[in-house]
Amino acid sequence: MGMDSTLAVQLLIQGVLLGGVYGLIAIGLSLIFGVMGIINFAHGQMMVMGMYISYWIFVLLGIDPYISLVAVAAAIFILGWLIQYTVVNRILDYPEAMQVLPLVSIGLILENAALMLWGPDHRSPQTALGLDSMWVGPIMVDTSRLIAFVLAIIITFLIFIFLKKSNLGKCIRAASDNRTGAVLVGIDVDRIYNMSFAIGAATTGAAGCLLVPLLPISPHIGHDFTLTAFIVVILGGMGNLLGALVGGVILGVAE
Amino acid sequence: MEKKTVTRAGMNRRTFLKVSGAAGLGVASATFGVPSLLRAAPKTIKIGSIQPVTGPLAVIGQGSRLGNQLAIDYINANGGINSMGGAKLELVLGDSESKPEVGRQEADRLINEGAVVLVGPFQSGVAMAIATLAEQRQVPFVMDVAALDAITQKGYEHVFRVFITAGGLVAGALKYYKTVTEAAGVHPKRAVVTNTADPFGKGMSGGFLKMLKGSGLPVEVVERIQYPLGIQDLSAEVARIKAAKPDIIFPISRIGDSVILLRELYKQRVDLMGIFGPGSPGWYEPEFVKDMDKLAFYSMTNVPWINPESPSYQRGNAAFLKASGKNLDTNSAYAYTGALVIADALERAGSTKTKDILKSLRETNYADHPVVGGAIKFNDKGDNTGALTALVQIQPDPDLLKRVRIVLPKDFAQSENIIFPAPQLWER
Amino acid sequence: MNRLHLLLVLILAVLSGLPLVLSKYTLGIFIMIFYYAYLGQSWNVLTGYTGHISLGHALYIGIGAYTSVFLAQHYGLSPWVGMFAGGILASLVALILGFLGFRFGLRGVYFVILTIAFAEITRLVVSHIEVLGSFSGIFLDFDPSFRNFQFRGNIPYYYIALTMMVLSLAAVRLIEISKLGRFMVAIREDEDAAQALGVNTFKYNMIAIAISAFMTALGGCFYANYIFYLHPDSLFGMGLSIELILRPIVGGMGTLFGPILGSFILTPLSEVSRAYFSKGGLEGMHLILYGIITILVVLFMPKGIIVYVRQWLKPLIPERKGDD
Repeated sequence: MGMDSTLAVQLLIQGVLLGGVYGLIAIGLSLIFGVMGIINFAHGQMMVMGMYISYWIFVLLGIDPYISLVAVAAAIFILGWLIQYTVVNRILDYPEAMQVLPLVSIGLILENAALMLWGPDHRSPQTALGLDSMWVGPIMVDTSRLIAFVLAIIITFLIFIFLKKSNLGKCIRAASDNRTGAVLVGIDVDRIYNMSFAIGAATTGAAGCLLVPLLPISPHIGHDFTLTAFIVVILGGMGNLLGALVGGVILGVAE
Repeated sequence: MEKKTVTRAGMNRRTFLKVSGAAGLGVASATFGVPSLLRAAPKTIKIGSIQPVTGPLAVIGQGSRLGNQLAIDYINANGGINSMGGAKLELVLGDSESKPEVGRQEADRLINEGAVVLVGPFQSGVAMAIATLAEQRQVPFVMDVAALDAITQKGYEHVFRVFITAGGLVAGALKYYKTVTEAAGVHPKRAVVTNTADPFGKGMSGGFLKMLKGSGLPVEVVERIQYPLGIQDLSAEVARIKAAKPDIIFPISRIGDSVILLRELYKQRVDLMGIFGPGSPGWYEPEFVKDMDKLAFYSMTNVPWINPESPSYQRGNAAFLKASGKNLDTNSAYAYTGALVIADALERAGSTKTKDILKSLRETNYADHPVVGGAIKFNDKGDNTGALTALVQIQPDPDLLKRVRIVLPKDFAQSENIIFPAPQLWER
Repeated sequence: MNRLHLLLVLILAVLSGLPLVLSKYTLGIFIMIFYYAYLGQSWNVLTGYTGHISLGHALYIGIGAYTSVFLAQHYGLSPWVGMFAGGILASLVALILGFLGFRFGLRGVYFVILTIAFAEITRLVVSHIEVLGSFSGIFLDFDPSFRNFQFRGNIPYYYIALTMMVLSLAAVRLIEISKLGRFMVAIREDEDAAQALGVNTFKYNMIAIAISAFMTALGGCFYANYIFYLHPDSLFGMGLSIELILRPIVGGMGTLFGPILGSFILTPLSEVSRAYFSKGGLEGMHLILYGIITILVVLFMPKGIIVYVRQWLKPLIPERKGDD
């Protein structure tokens, strides 16, 4: 294999693997948009919260981010639920410009809360597999990326199953297709909305865990991820979950 | 101020009116610049510190603010400004939020609160906004850190810089690179330059490339890689680096991307003789040294640096360690120096009038400072002619705090031994 | 002249007299109040009155700032002229954006995305143009004179900013009472219905976005010669676009005085809280507070604070018909 084609394959693999994580971040954004028509401008900041929780679990208890993932997702689920319950639920019928503002503000609050709670330092813990890599001939496969990719795909798959098969998932899809109709058949739409936002938040929290071994954490990086997720969602089609995954991979490769 | 509040509680309405009238007159005289003879001699002298304590550069901004503060505390603990009857210094604080317009507005607020000199602000962009304000308001402005040459090129009368210029930084990098390679008898042939695509990164790498080309050194830059500030993934960039087969990398980074770069170099097994930073953050911060551990070893950076032997450093560092649990680094040490230079100028001026402070700043000849370099003197542009860089290398030591060592210049070196070429990242 | 007009004249007289008693720093706060009120009012022309949401208005500030500075640096053109060149250029760009958006019927979130994309693309393009300073930005020379739009003290800036705010108010009032304004409001209330009734919605949308961009760009020229430093990230970035819409939304979108009221509340709030909390140990607190207050206002006063002010002022306002 020539030098150039090795480089190309290497770049492709790296891109696809990271794209899976981008996709997972974006799926949360896409779910929230699909169900409520809201763009969550605090999405990246919620992810950073997840990263910090995962980081501290690792530093204080020595539990690897891949294992603490479930706990972190649960914590961010609660955070998302609270944000939806206190703020987002009240702004669903507002014009878009006014929906933007509270969510941007939530992002600002989360970012600066992280600054006050954990300080401005860039933290990059040495996790067990943080520096591991595998070699296929001249091609390097980054172990943390591979794990992140596989877990991202699994989580995405689980969300799909949940939306297709479970009762609650069906209600979410119903509410997303037709709010009035959902109300008419007796679905508690408010509860569905809370669940959707919280699930969207939990997925981005989980994605944060997957990124802990890959990049330094600091309070202000959330904003960039909000934009990344936003671009991914546009690439994949607003509100289209599978599209988000594809969009993530496209962006990962393009970068 | 506090005293006024206390007395007000027990005041009837008439005396309150009288007092507030007098206070109003005081405000008015401050506003209209009524001759200072009418005012009492100052008990405290205010110095305005503007640093980016929130936002993406908060880690640097908070350290710099602390550096400013500890220098002031030191002066106050030693009797304040003797020439003004032991007047105490007070640091009034501003946050630039990393935004030029906020930095300007904050500087204006601090001047309004009575600051007679300004110090700060780390970022060149913010420095430009404040430099013009300092010129408009005719208040001296001592930049502790901010390297872009352009800031002092306008010939502003009120602007001084303790830090080295970008030009001086690059010249130091070449000088040390030459010394290191000649001493080792090893001459890398292929090099890659990486930089963040922000004013600092672009300016530094542009200057470095130009000077390297003109230097006659037997090294060729085969690839220049730029990436945006705040990037989260460098795997593609490192794959390109690997494909370029460099012997050495010259990274110009910020905090954060250096970690990502180093990890990718490790994971992708890029063969290197060494990493030589021409002058940028990212390669010596305590968090970096701790988190990267062995991977950080042997990387070298040309950087304006602390002088560990100097009494001023030992004093400053003890206080800094106590307050923050960290050692003074480049930015915090220069912030410490900037405030000391101001105190020295005030001491010699014996007055808080701009004219006198400017005169004494221009006559500065200050050697009792904590950084590598000669005595601080300002040229007609306001740049520090004594500014020097050092070459630091991360060397193995069980004590984290002792790993970052000066290897050049010889007069300041903490280790005679420069390790180059270095063992590969994965063979440590 | 009714009592409301009298009140306005009184306020204007007080504002005109403030430089006699206030310090330079306090004047600086007022300059920022006027500046953001002006920008908010410019944005209000498009979003407040037609309902098309722009989250990329920083684009026009950037164009105004860069154009006037470029013409001054390279052709010696006074910024007083250059600002209008910037305004015209901004209008042209806005018309291209508007054409894409309105011709293809992008509404709601999709129009928002288009405006963000235009600003982001321009930011990246400017970041790579060497004569515009690329990533390093432009550091303006300080050469105070009226011709150069540069002054040593804050007082001239104060009066310029105040004038701009008052003129923008007058301009929006003129639009409000004209046929144009009524069509714009019709578009905001129901674009399809307006079209069905024979309103050429495309034309009025295009006029609105061009006026809005033109006004915004003039603000950019002011910024350049007040701050003296231009950087693509701070002038075309989304942060500024959001900062800019905060005030009209908090004050009251689509109302004449909303943007001004919003700026008189939020700008000092951000200054004072930053000054108060920047004492050390609480870095970031002022931004948290800013965020919380914004959320509270949007949640509990969705029509803006102007509604409450209107109630207080009711005795002063004569009965009017069909006027917002």
